[in-house]
Amino acid sequence: MKDSRLEILAVGLGILLTASMVLAQRPFSATYDSARQVKLEGPVTRIDWVNPYAYLFIDVRDAAGTTANWAVEFGNPLDLERDGWKRNSLHVGDVVTVEGVPARGESRQAFAKSVVLTGTGKRLFVPPAVRRTSAPAAPTPRWPDGRVRLGALPGKKGYWGAASVKALVENTGVKIPMNDDGLLLNISDADRVAPFLPWAKALYLHRQRTLLKDDPLSRCLPPGGPRQFHMPNGFRFIEQRELGRLLVLLGGGDRNWRIIYADGRPVGQAAEAVLSYYGTSVGRWDGDTLVVDSVGFNERFWLTSGGLPHTEALHLTERFSRPDFNTLKYEVTVDDPRTYTRAWTGGWTIQWVPDKDIEEYFCEDNAESTFIR
Amino acid sequence: MRRRVFRLSFFFLCLGAVVSGIAQEGHPLTGTWSGDWGPTAAQRTHVTIVMNWDGKNVTGTINPGPDSVPIGSVFIDVTNWTVRIEADAKDRSGNAIHISAEGQLEDIGSYHRKITGTWRQGTAKGDFRLTRD
Repeated sequence: MKDSRLEILAVGLGILLTASMVLAQRPFSATYDSARQVKLEGPVTRIDWVNPYAYLFIDVRDAAGTTANWAVEFGNPLDLERDGWKRNSLHVGDVVTVEGVPARGESRQAFAKSVVLTGTGKRLFVPPAVRRTSAPAAPTPRWPDGRVRLGALPGKKGYWGAASVKALVENTGVKIPMNDDGLLLNISDADRVAPFLPWAKALYLHRQRTLLKDDPLSRCLPPGGPRQFHMPNGFRFIEQRELGRLLVLLGGGDRNWRIIYADGRPVGQAAEAVLSYYGTSVGRWDGDTLVVDSVGFNERFWLTSGGLPHTEALHLTERFSRPDFNTLKYEVTVDDPRTYTRAWTGGWTIQWVPDKDIEEYFCEDNAESTFIR
Repeated sequence: MRRRVFRLSFFFLCLGAVVSGIAQEGHPLTGTWSGDWGPTAAQRTHVTIVMNWDGKNVTGTINPGPDSVPIGSVFIDVTNWTVRIEADAKDRSGNAIHISAEGQLEDIGSYHRKITGTWRQGTAKGDFRLTRD
């Protein structure tokens, strides 16, 4: 009995340790200082080919002759493998030259812009000149009864991939400059992002000023709300018309899924729902547009990269349309009177990735324990 | 059977500990806060405060339970994240006593954000420290 308790204690501590180790993936801006550059040269001591980021470690000798081990992030293994690179494209002992962006602070970490084998000059881990192509132009696919198909044609593969923008903002026709993490280039543009209540604006500004370091996504939590359609690994619609529902299968966020009921049931009330990252969704067709009302969201996620807050009072109205075969138009109205002064709308388009399935992606940590030195 | 119950209990304890690490990303005051106040490091009184943002006001309760005290008002200055909580309670003799806690909200991006400051309860005064559970 005593041994058994120790065993259980060990398992329990393991769970806690695992949970704490997941707290490591930071937005690029929070981790790296794009204003600086670094050039490193030395032998590879280790290669860490793990989602979401591949790392190589090199011993770098400085002018004084002191050797220090640097960790260099160089891409996502899925993308690298898609481009033909493999774990053994580089070997321990190879001498490489890395040019990149150093991490903020004093840690010996960098993001590689280029990795070159010093002996041969061969450039490693670069994408091919022509990477991915869209499907040929084609009209909107339809079911036999004329309704728009949001998924792949029978017998074909494909999924929705890259979004046209990186963050949700109110659609006012004015482009707000921000980086890929949703960091505003000019903080005074915050008022143009959304009609915030004072507390929400203050919190948004805090997140911006702290470089999004507290982003729940960096702790591998699901991309709830509109953010699910911003994830780099895409998503699929599975239309189960005979069951009166659509499934949204998400490539990002640890293969999460969402059900949109389209069987005529009424839209629920937030108080009736079990609060979740994706809410409770009811859809209906309005011509060629699928209109989805969702309530019942928890407060554990950011609406978008960049740090837009919300409360449990959130009500989303999403409109999905497919103006041609390769384009999904996504529009979302955010109605959360506890966070915003009025309902507001934003949106983007998403491109079809033909003839492929979503690749397996799990958010997992491969950084924090490595960099504690 | 007891072993199974123990294992299950421990599993859910661990699960609870893991889940409790998940942040609440909405209004920074919403949630359950616990800590203590007192005039010295040795003289402390445990405090639990539950607060909720309803879109216009932050409402809540001090020490939920048989001796709970409804919060009269909560003021938050989002320009510097200072907080003032006011409530009217009764002491052990049944006399009215006013509670006023003024503090600074710290580390607002963290799940375990904190409020520290000065607690006044009747004529007593001390410091307080609350952590969001």
